[in-house]
Amino acid sequence: MHIVENQGGGSGWQAPTGRRTDEWSECLTLIAANEDRAAFTRLFRHFAPLIKAFALSGSSLSAAHADELVQEVMLKVWQKAAAFNPEKAAASTWVYTIARNCRTDMFRRLQKFDTPLAAEDFTPEQEGEEPFAVLQSRRSGDRIRDLMDQLPSDQAQILAKVYMEGKSHAEAAGELDLPLGTVKSRVRLAIQKLQVHMEKQ
Amino acid sequence: MAKFHPSIDLLTEYAAGNLPLAQSACVAAHLNYCESCQRTAVQLQEAGSALFGALDPVPVGDSVLDSVLARLDEDAPLSYAQAPEADQTEVGRTPAILQRLMKGDFSELVWRKVTESLRISYLKTGDPGYEFALYHIKAGGKIPDHDHRGSEMTLVLQGGFSDANGSYHEGDFIYRAANDTHAPTALQSEDCICLAVLDAPLKFTNWKYRWMNPFLQLRAG
Ligand SMILES: [Zn+2]
Repeated sequence: MHIVENQGGGSGWQAPTGRRTDEWSECLTLIAANEDRAAFTRLFRHFAPLIKAFALSGSSLSAAHADELVQEVMLKVWQKAAAFNPEKAAASTWVYTIARNCRTDMFRRLQKFDTPLAAEDFTPEQEGEEPFAVLQSRRSGDRIRDLMDQLPSDQAQILAKVYMEGKSHAEAAGELDLPLGTVKSRVRLAIQKLQVHMEKQ
Repeated sequence: MAKFHPSIDLLTEYAAGNLPLAQSACVAAHLNYCESCQRTAVQLQEAGSALFGALDPVPVGDSVLDSVLARLDEDAPLSYAQAPEADQTEVGRTPAILQRLMKGDFSELVWRKVTESLRISYLKTGDPGYEFALYHIKAGGKIPDHDHRGSEMTLVLQGGFSDANGSYHEGDFIYRAANDTHAPTALQSEDCICLAVLDAPLKFTNWKYRWMNPFLQLRAG
């Protein structure tokens, strides 16, 4: 429930200065301010089933591991609520990022990787000043979500394999019985349609 | 500003969290130098978030909520007023993720002499599938011709080098597929330090599934 004035064709795009005031970012703010358990429970009821679905995508984790992942992610959400900045990102993106990192760490733990690095070390979180352009990209989430709904199903299917099931392009090609080049070009087309800034190669 | 960047395919796999640890570290280190790729990575992450929000929810038992609630007391929300400051002195320019692996600056590493102009220092990432090393090439020095049985990622950390395809400077990211021969030479003006991530000769299938096969022996990275 973003507060968006939709003035014809704006399709949910928020002005870059807009503060995100959806229910989930309010919950995070309440947790950070008062250790609010009721707010945490609301967040849990919404996000835990998504985290579990994410864990089970590609069916590489057991149901027990999926429940363990739900617990880990939600505990992190509780601990790190104060680090959430509603001016930078949507609450859902923030939770997704924690879930993605925890899942990667769980895979590495299960493989007994002996590494000094945790998945969150790989996404440099900017403290303080962030370049304006990067900040703007963080705020473009709503627009990307809208564009996502308009992707042709063959492109959306491949993105889901890559992002949710954690498949490499090569694995996605194998499973869909498509040439690797086709998978790569579908991913590129989809990304282009999302109007993601792309470097000229 | 960096002129050579990871492809959109690599950035997508990075944003999805699918790259092997060592390669992911190399891409992350490039982002340190490149606002443009940071921007792309953030947008690609939003795409992931949209897919996440559209998943079919899978019911979670109340017992899971109960056990999380029971653990909240031990884990009070942390205060994030100030994250530990990265060392901004000598290693200030080095990407944070490399600082974590190096535990010091370039001069404190163990460098192995390969030729008069090339020294190599191997860093331990814990990824058994990839070699992760820093190359120190003397100004004007040449790396002997080599080809790779696997892929190679290179990130210039200091100085620069050139090969038949162009010249590369601080922050530039180069990806080479297998069997691509090249002979890089450091620029004349200063020593070059770069990060090279190579496919280890022993190639496993997807790193995420290796743990399921009890018969595979992993080599420590
Ligand atoms: Zn770049």
